[in-house]
This record gives sequence, structure tokens and C-alpha cells, in this order.
Amino acid sequence: MKRYKYFLILMAVGTILAACGLDNYDAPDSILSGKVTYKGEPLGLRGTGEAVQLQLYQDGYELRDNIPVYVKQDGNFQARLFDGEYKLVTRNQNGPWVNERDTIVINLRGTTSVEVEVTPYFTISNETISLNGAVMNASFEVNQIVNTAEMDYISLLVSKTSFVDDVSYIARKDFRDLQPDKLSLSMDMSENGDFAAAKYLYARVGVRTKGADQAVYSKIVQLR
Amino acid sequence: MALAIMLFSFSSCSDFLDRDPDTILSEDEVFGDAIMIKSVLSNFYGRITWGQHIDDTYLYTILDEASKSDGGPDNRQEFENDRWRVYDYTLLRNLNQFLKGVRASTVLDDKTRDQLEGEARFIRAWLYFNMVRGMGGMPIVGDEVFDYTPGMDITTMQYPRSTEADLYEYIISECEAIKNILPTEPSVNAARATKWAALMLKARAAVYAGSIANYNNKMSAPIQTPGGEVGIPANLAKGFYETALLAAEEVINSGQYELQLSKPDDRGRNFYEALSVKENNKEVIWARDYKYPGQTNGFTQANIPPSHAEDIDRAYAGPILNLVEDFEYIDDRDGQIRIKDAAGNYVYYNNPEDAFANKDPRLWGSIIYPGADFKGSPVVLQAGQKYWENNEWKTLTSDPGRRDANDILITSVNGPNMTNDQFINKSGFFFRKFLDETPSASTRGRRSEMWFPRFRFAEAVLIAAEASLELGESGKALNYINMVRGRAGIQNLESITFDDIVRERRTEFAFEDHRYWDLKRWRLAHTVWNGIQDDPKAQQWGLFPYLINQPGNENHAKWVFEKVKIHMSPYPRYFQMRNYYNFIDQGWINNNPKLVKNPYQ
Repeated sequence: MKRYKYFLILMAVGTILAACGLDNYDAPDSILSGKVTYKGEPLGLRGTGEAVQLQLYQDGYELRDNIPVYVKQDGNFQARLFDGEYKLVTRNQNGPWVNERDTIVINLRGTTSVEVEVTPYFTISNETISLNGAVMNASFEVNQIVNTAEMDYISLLVSKTSFVDDVSYIARKDFRDLQPDKLSLSMDMSENGDFAAAKYLYARVGVRTKGADQAVYSKIVQLR
Repeated sequence: MALAIMLFSFSSCSDFLDRDPDTILSEDEVFGDAIMIKSVLSNFYGRITWGQHIDDTYLYTILDEASKSDGGPDNRQEFENDRWRVYDYTLLRNLNQFLKGVRASTVLDDKTRDQLEGEARFIRAWLYFNMVRGMGGMPIVGDEVFDYTPGMDITTMQYPRSTEADLYEYIISECEAIKNILPTEPSVNAARATKWAALMLKARAAVYAGSIANYNNKMSAPIQTPGGEVGIPANLAKGFYETALLAAEEVINSGQYELQLSKPDDRGRNFYEALSVKENNKEVIWARDYKYPGQTNGFTQANIPPSHAEDIDRAYAGPILNLVEDFEYIDDRDGQIRIKDAAGNYVYYNNPEDAFANKDPRLWGSIIYPGADFKGSPVVLQAGQKYWENNEWKTLTSDPGRRDANDILITSVNGPNMTNDQFINKSGFFFRKFLDETPSASTRGRRSEMWFPRFRFAEAVLIAAEASLELGESGKALNYINMVRGRAGIQNLESITFDDIVRERRTEFAFEDHRYWDLKRWRLAHTVWNGIQDDPKAQQWGLFPYLINQPGNENHAKWVFEKVKIHMSPYPRYFQMRNYYNFIDQGWINNNPKLVKNPYQ
């Protein structure tokens, strides 16, 4: 038995040492970065739960599985890749914009930056969000970009982390039947235990379009 | 050295590798023996339990029917892209092999051969139905059995996806084709397919297709693909509803089944027995049957109240208040439990079960509420005691089963409580539907023979009601829905709306794998499970009963209730647009590039 044991150890050591060099190559170190924009301005999006994605395809391989690129809540994204030619598209019917899915061809050499220009249904501008006691006041302008789009609801959202969206929040109030315009809305959080306990508070406004799978958001404002 | 070992391990001196396998039967051997053929068929019946079912309790906690009661929290908020997705072309190939073998077999008489063919095609239609309701149209391969030989052109085996409408049509036509070769007599424990099961599948497929054609196109952005793999044109709705109505009425007029009413004086018990007792059952048309030994399920073992448990396991999950309140009162359609008066004060009850007096008797038959009987003794659900101090009611809780100095129970062994402990309830309710009353059915050694009905007579009636309502025959629809309400023991409706159908199906078919698919096909899921915290529907709610312990107070020894957010399930359910259709797996597309992706993918 003892003899076998040494034998096995020898075998194991041998196997570990006898790796081959051919199929090992360096990890990718080229960086593709960029942002999702409308007229050059990045869009506020939901950044949690892999909610908004772009898709990278590379031609010349047998299988055409895409590389998902996750967009952050400020509209930025980044992917670490090998050099080469890629095709970048938005994900089908994903995001608060018109589903056009035009291909952007990217020639990646080292570091490349790209802007993905989309046509959102609505945008939010001139937002000021403030806290008065336990009442959040938000005034902002909702701009209709696509004439046929209908607004479903506007949400006021407060979170205790800097991630604020329709899933990550401690307080939320939805307003329906509003028209795109200059708006002033407020939310009373005096009954909300999470609000009183939170050390930090961040807030944001979201506009949901009927039929879209995501809302478009304003910039994030730190309230506390 | 290594070379020597390898050479040694591969050399051998017998013809060990050349023997015929003794554990694999050839097709000739199988299809030359009637008993062998039957055992292949029974293998198929064991492979077709998909969706929500009683062999996995946690499947009930995903929606708004029950919540987890054991161990760690349930952090679910969103739904997976492959939730209840079925893609089983292996089974499909096996079924087609079976069909080919049975048709060529010489050991069967014509009647048996017909029945076997009918059952295999029924199972195949059921498989397609389970695929289409999750993913939309998928490749229809007919009776083809694919065999790959090296060098052949594999693109001939790659079929594109059918349209969603075509796959529903195919299921409907298959059911129509086999209904007259299947037996008309109900099978033992409804375990095998009959003519009536085929008609039920036809009716269900047709009403699903009809409602998708109808409600998908009423959305502000209908979910569809350019090729129709997802989405059914609105002009097909009428035809599908007519098919559904005809098939459902054929079952209703068959005389083989009925809305079981064996105990008209005890409607709650009657409803329980119509669903959960196999003997002399007149209601269930097709079920996944279980039999000891070998084929048993763990639902009773997992969910029996601790006070009635016979083994270690108990209280894995509990139904939630959302569902309890969706059951109406006998004479009041608002099913809310009256726990506070208009001024915000407690409503005091002499007994905990009094809070559920006059509820739809189906509540008793589906859910064990505080103080209700199980196996002849009450199930005590008591979260704690309330006592009066500083002009308000204060709460006292304890370890499960502890009594105070005066020997009055503080917190029941059944719960509910707010801990993360296992084996104690967290919602205030237990399952009754499908909970087996047979002695030792909750032990690990034996488990339960409880069946899981897939089709039953009440569904035929409610499909008929829904289809006739959508076809504009509201008189007929009213008549059908009142049949179901009448058997349940609640007031008749004077008029009927679509919302009445939604509500009736929610309570009649609780825990029967209908809720998810119903809300999907009506395109209501994203409005009910809207992901908003503390939403009355999307959030899971519980009901905690307390005993007043304040001698001298006029309410001493009475009971009060508190509505609580289920702490085990802190997040609201969030059903998003992408959840209406499962994603098509990239691996399948790699194997078959003709498959197109679903929307939002």
C-alpha cells in the first residue's frame, strides 16, 4: 500500500508539472469603453441587475454567442477584450429608447472609446432634487423626444446607497396621468423607518414609457 | 514510466469488451413484448411533470401564493429568463421512437395499439404545450425520428421555429385526432390519458392561444417577433375561443365527470375531497398519480403543521395573506380579513377561526387558517400574547411552545414567528389542498401518495365561461361561472366581467399551476407583480394572531390579528416584459442556427 502511495504522489506531481504551453495565452488587456448618449449627453439608466445590456459580436468564429456589456447607471460601459474587429448593438427591446439596433463596427487596438447614440422616448433635464425635513422635492423638465410615446408614470426614488433605480430604493412614489412638462413633485417620507435610519441618502427621478422595459432616469443627487 | 503504466492498463487478455450489453434492450426486444411496451409508456408519464407541482414545495413560494418558512430568507425579486422553461426534444424523440415501434409491433391487438398511440401522442401534445406556453413557437418535428450517421448533412435535421399560433394549432389538431382512439372510461386514479384529458388539453391550449391573440395586441407595445414565433395575430382570437368553448362543452356534457358535491353540508370539506381524495373522485380528469412504494411525493412531509408532524420535517412554506384575502366572503365580494375597525382599533374575536367565518368555503378546503382543524384537531397558530401597558397593547413572544407562569401559551409550536429558524411557520397559514391526511404520510420513510391533478372538471367549466364571455355570450358565461361558485357555496353573480374570471380562477385553482400561466396569457403579470415595495399584491403579506392576556380587561382571552410583511421574503415580486417569454438558450442556437431569439433577448 505504501509503495502505491508514493507512486500516486509521483503521478500527481508529474501531471501538474506536465502542462502544455500552447493553449495558454495572456488575458485580454485592451479596453473598450463608452457611453450611451442622446445628442452627446449620457442617459441615466438602471445599473443594477444587469438590466441594460449591449451586445458585442465578433465575426469569423463558428458560434455566434454575444459578449454582454453591462451599462452602468450613468450610461457608461466598459469591456476588457482582445484586439480585433467587433460589432456592437443594443439588446433587442432593452432600454428606454427606440429599438433601432444599428450596428457600430469597432476596431479595437489598445483602448477605444465609443458613443452609442440612441433615441430615448423621453429625457429629463434641469433636475433639482432637495430634502426638506422628511419631504423630498424634485423639480425637473420632462422632454418628449418621440412624438408617439406615451408616459406611463414618473417615479421619485430614494435609496440609501448610490444605486438608485426602480428595484434599489427605500422610498418610492409613482405619479401617473402626467404630461411631459416642467414638473414639481414631492414625496413625504416621515412614516418611513428606513428613511430615518439611513446614514446616506441618494435620490433620482425616473420616467417610464408605456411598453418600454426600462425607465430613463435623471442624474443622481445625494440628499444626506 | 508513464508510458509503461498506460500500456499496462490498456492491455487485456479476455474479450471483455466484446460482449453484448446485458442492461440495454434492443428495439426489437422492447416492441416484441406487450408488458415491456407498457413500461416504456409509464416511463414517459414519469417524465412530464413541469411547472409548479407538489413534489417541490418551494415552487409555490415564487409567486404570490405562499412564502418560505424555513432557514434563510427568500431574496427573490425578479424572475429568471428560464423560469419553468421546457425544452425536451430528447423526450420528443423517444416518443416518436415509441410511436414507430408500436405501429410496427406484432404483439398488440388493434384496440391496445390505438390506445398506446393515443397516449403517446397525447403526451407529445402535452410536451409541446409546455414548451409553447414558456417560449412561444418551437420546431414541430411531426413523427420524425432523427438518426445521425457521420458525414450526413445536419442542416436537414435543423428545423426552424414554428409560429406561436401554428404550434397551438398543432396541439389542438393532435388532440382532435386522438380523442376517438383514447378510452372514454376514466382511468384508475386519473393517471392515464383518456378522451376527456385530450379534450381538456385542447380546450386549455385554445383558450391560452385565444387570450394571447386578444390581450397581447391590446398592450401598448405588443410582444412579438417579425416571424410570428412570438405573438398571435388578433384576428385569430375568435377562432381559438370558439374551439376552446366547443372542447370544454364536450367535456361538460360527457356525463363522465362533475363538479363533485358529495358533502353539501360541509362545503369546505367537500372542496378538499374533490381535489385531494382519490377514492370515488368525480372531478379530476388527469393527474400525476403517486403510489407507495417507490412513487411518493414529499409535499405533506414538508408542509405539515408542527403540531401534527410525524417526522423531523414540517412547515417548509406557508400560504400568504394575499391569497387568503382573494377568497371572497359568502355574501361579500371583498375578501379582506377584518382586523381593524374604521378608527384603527383591533377587532376582537372570541376564537381565531371566527375571523374567517363566512369566508368562501374553498378557503377552508385550500388553506389551514388559525384555529382550523386538521385530522380532527385544531391547528393552533399563535404569534404571541398582547398585554395592556401605558395605554397601549404590547406584544410578548417566546420560543415555540413556551407557556407563561399561568400555563397560558405564548408562541405556538406552529408559529408564526419572525425568526430565521426552520420548522416553524412565518406567514400565519398552512397548506391544506394536497396535504395528505393518511397516517404516516408525512414521514420520510413513507411520504405521501397524494396526486397532483392537471385537468379537472371545474377547469372545463371556467374555460367555457371565459371563452363564452370573450365571444360576447355573457349569459352563458354567467351560467358557467355560477356553476362553479354554486358548488363552492358562495353567492351567485348577477353579471359577469373579465375581472370575475381572473378572480375565480385565482381562488378555485390555487396551488394547481395555473396562476403564473394565467397572468402571463392575460398580459396581467407585469401589473400584478409590479416590483413596488409594500405593494398590496407584489409584496408578500402574512397574518399574525395574538391572544389577549390581560385579566380584568373586557377583551381578556380574545384574539386580535396583525398584518405583517413577510420578513422571510423582503422584496416585492417584479415581473418584467422579458419574462413573458423564456429566453432561447444560446447553446440551442449554436446547435441549430435556424432558431431565432425571443424579444428582449
